[in-house]
Amino acid sequence: MEAKEQQNKGYDIVLDWMAAQGRTPFEFQRKTWEKYGRAYSGMVVAPTGFGKTFSVFLAVLIDFMNRPDAYGNGLKLIWITPLRSLAKDLARAMQEAIDSIGLDWVVEVRHGDTDIKTKQRQSKQMPDVLLLTPESLHLLLAQKGRTIFFKSLKCIAVDEWHELLGSKRGVMIELALAYLKAQYKELRVWGITATIGNLDEAMDVLLPVAKKRVKIVAREKKKIAIEPVFPDKVEVLPWAGHLGGALVQKVVPVILQSKSSIVFTNTRSQSEMWYQLLLEAYPDFAGQIALHHSSIDAPIRQWIEEALSEGKLKAVIATSSLDLGVDFKPVDTVIQVGSAKGVARFMQRAGRSGHSPHEVSKIYFVPTHSLELVEVAALKEAVKNNAIERREPMILSFDVLLQFLVTIALGGGFIAADMQQIIQGTFAFHYMTDEEWRQCILLITVGGEVGKNYEDFHKVKEREDGMLIVEKRRIAMLHRMNIGVIVSDAMMRVKFISGGYIGMVEEYFLSKLKKGDKFILAGRVLELVNIKEMTALVRNASGTAITPSWLGGRLPLSANLSHFLRQKLALSVQAGVQQKELAFLQPLLLTQQQYSHIPAADEFLVENIHTREGFHLFLYPFEGRLIHEVMAALIAFRISRLYPISFSMAMNDYGFELFSDTEIRLSTEELRQVLSREHLMEDVVNSINATEMARRKFRDIAVISGMVVQNMYGKQKSNKSLQASAGLIFKVLEEYEPNHILLKQAYAEVFNQQLEEPRLIAAFERINASKIIYKFSSKFTPLSFPIKVDSLRQSLSSEDLEKRIQRMQQQSRKETKPKK
Amino acid sequence: MSLKQETVFFGRQQLILTNERALFWEKQQMLVLSDLHLGKAEHFRRNGIALPSQPGKDDLQRLEGLILHFKPRHVLVVGDLVHAGANNEVALFGRFTAGFPGVDFLLIKGNHDRFPGDLLPELGIRAVYDELVIDTLRFIHHPEGHRPGLYTISGHIHPGVAVRMPAKRVIHFPCYALTEDQLILPAFAKFTGTDTRSLPRRARCYAFYEAGIFEVPQH
Repeated sequence: MEAKEQQNKGYDIVLDWMAAQGRTPFEFQRKTWEKYGRAYSGMVVAPTGFGKTFSVFLAVLIDFMNRPDAYGNGLKLIWITPLRSLAKDLARAMQEAIDSIGLDWVVEVRHGDTDIKTKQRQSKQMPDVLLLTPESLHLLLAQKGRTIFFKSLKCIAVDEWHELLGSKRGVMIELALAYLKAQYKELRVWGITATIGNLDEAMDVLLPVAKKRVKIVAREKKKIAIEPVFPDKVEVLPWAGHLGGALVQKVVPVILQSKSSIVFTNTRSQSEMWYQLLLEAYPDFAGQIALHHSSIDAPIRQWIEEALSEGKLKAVIATSSLDLGVDFKPVDTVIQVGSAKGVARFMQRAGRSGHSPHEVSKIYFVPTHSLELVEVAALKEAVKNNAIERREPMILSFDVLLQFLVTIALGGGFIAADMQQIIQGTFAFHYMTDEEWRQCILLITVGGEVGKNYEDFHKVKEREDGMLIVEKRRIAMLHRMNIGVIVSDAMMRVKFISGGYIGMVEEYFLSKLKKGDKFILAGRVLELVNIKEMTALVRNASGTAITPSWLGGRLPLSANLSHFLRQKLALSVQAGVQQKELAFLQPLLLTQQQYSHIPAADEFLVENIHTREGFHLFLYPFEGRLIHEVMAALIAFRISRLYPISFSMAMNDYGFELFSDTEIRLSTEELRQVLSREHLMEDVVNSINATEMARRKFRDIAVISGMVVQNMYGKQKSNKSLQASAGLIFKVLEEYEPNHILLKQAYAEVFNQQLEEPRLIAAFERINASKIIYKFSSKFTPLSFPIKVDSLRQSLSSEDLEKRIQRMQQQSRKETKPKK
Repeated sequence: MSLKQETVFFGRQQLILTNERALFWEKQQMLVLSDLHLGKAEHFRRNGIALPSQPGKDDLQRLEGLILHFKPRHVLVVGDLVHAGANNEVALFGRFTAGFPGVDFLLIKGNHDRFPGDLLPELGIRAVYDELVIDTLRFIHHPEGHRPGLYTISGHIHPGVAVRMPAKRVIHFPCYALTEDQLILPAFAKFTGTDTRSLPRRARCYAFYEAGIFEVPQH
């Protein structure tokens, strides 16, 4: 009876507090509070804007108010967020709630930007609630005397779990949770996630061993309205990137009629381009719009984010750098330029407008070529079906494990046998063999197999009592500075010669520039004056300049989206098309139909096109750029097995091209052969340069596992002598330690991520079950044209490209005319 | 690895470039090499990065092979003999030189060669120079400066060259880089990267690999 009364107490206080603000809890919040009170761990699934933070956070407060005696002094709740910028705002909101409820808890943030004084104070006296990134949690675990921090800890909440799952940061979380759970049995762990395609798996990864666990799914749904921006007329031969300029005139009024907009682009160079386009189209935007991407200096980005939440900016042109993060209340319009590549990403971006729970999120879609309008139709269907992508959790990431083991050794040590059990309890390392564990321990203690070339290696030492610890201060410092799994390209800061930082640009881009060359960054034309120690000194300039093409901006189309895309395209030419995007595209679709074919859902289209330029074979799996890269190499390899021929390749998200200057003789039967599911992976391995791909993957692995040092302490010259490139280490290990566990990981990552083995197999199974449509033509078709253009883009400078394309279009038009 | 060689004329001297990262100057009976970086792997290991010591041992074995083949009177290291101070791997070199009492080991000081002077006799090095002129050739670690009438041989930058192969592929090779008055040696140590960007303009490159050495066609 008394317990019951007390249980009500905290709940009533929170309910009153909410009521005073005119709010009532959602059902999923109430359920979370109840389950938390009964010592459950769990995972809350709710869309953004519905108070998912308060589901878990208030649960802890309620439980505290119900049983204050059960809570000790010091840290009670650890809240993990993927972004530093989120932490600050969340902490403020939490502190406000605590204050106005009338509790005396203190909420603080701790991450890479927190100053040393605060950190030292925290280490002495922890706040009640601490917001951390995965990296800063690991740094706490690396501190001597770490046990003091966690003695009163009741709960660890992992916010935006969907963002962390599927990356090595997710593995960091798994390891830290497993370790802490093993030390503090009563610890509750709660995840908070948006909807993804594999929620049950997401919970297994977060809570692999919890007995009392629950998944709470909010019934509330965010409504999304998708509004395509149509060009005035359909271009029958579309090409990527070209439409933007024409559509900017239609985007300006959208921005003008909104309070505040975010314009999302897919790459940094695209965002730079759109910033310029908008300024040219509407010069009054000067000072009212800003550019936000990961190469722009952090203080400037912060300023932009603040200005955006204060409603001082009319629009921000952004990349995925603004996908996540704090809510910008004034933003009422989102504009997506080009394919969003995935359903989840599209919905997430849409969700950045229309914040209050029942408001509709409106997103305008600006196609970069007219075919992308089919994608709008596909997206609508996918959103309706809630077909959100999966996030594949990473497994057996030994680089992360090695780093973690040193972290634990550093903060007080561990016993190998106990640790093995803890590690094998995680989802990521469930299938780790005893032999693999033995190798991991060897790697951190003696460098490799005993007696094989690793004299004088000391990282972790075994003490007499069996504890594995780090003794050397130098190694400890180096390790602490390099905790984390985010590996950045070598970046150079860009600074005005008169002072003031502008941003960061990849070193390889700058290394290609000569003094006096001009390039664009943060919306300005800059002239390179000098390069000094990893800083590029520049001055303002004007005139034509090159936009850096940053690596890694090219995300492939997701499997979910490509499924709906194929479906929509198949339906597009059937009589009585209702959907306005498809109706609009009729001229293009009919041309495709007339000169070639539009593949139905159970068909697979191959076009064999002979132009003056040479011989082209186009195939359309609609599986995304990455898979197409692998497929192109495979098909080229299989054809060249039939008879000697060499190809160059090009691809986009819809299909790929094999180009040759000799005739591609391929009968329908032979075509069927080269598309066969038989011996698939065997042929893939023969057709690609797996070693080269593994070498590229090894770059991150080498940094994470500590073989390549990213951050040095101090600036002493002697540190330079510790630098070796990952490529070099890869070569040495391939030659002298071919069974090295990190090499094996590199090859495994190639197969799982680069080749996406399961998706590749599924694609070939689908193709093999399809009817193959093999068409011959003497001119480019609407489907093939964008691929061809993309292949030119790679080999030409941008001015040349424009001319070449125009010529090609003219030629193609001339050739088609007589037949019309 | 099998020894392959290519004869060039540089500074009015006939030099034999080998694919084993050293050149032989027959007239002076001198084997010339650069950037041995002794003890590099061990330096890494001492700082917690587990690299095998075998590559360093292989370097010395290759040097032994070259000495047995050319039977030089002098072996000249054009800088960066040692990677980062004395350690066990460096000490191995002392034992190595002791095995060739008839050979005169000389060193041009490189930027990595920071060690106490008394280490030199221990390593079997007879003399160390900042710069050394023999006949028409001038040896200095950094490929800098110019002295009229002299032809410079140096190391330091670990030259490499990108070679365009059929089917749009590009492969990087370590190389010797030659101009009219300058020759840059490849790094003798195998566990080193290459720099393809800092070569002198219009340098002729002799690239090499396990089984051969070839002049890279100029474009």
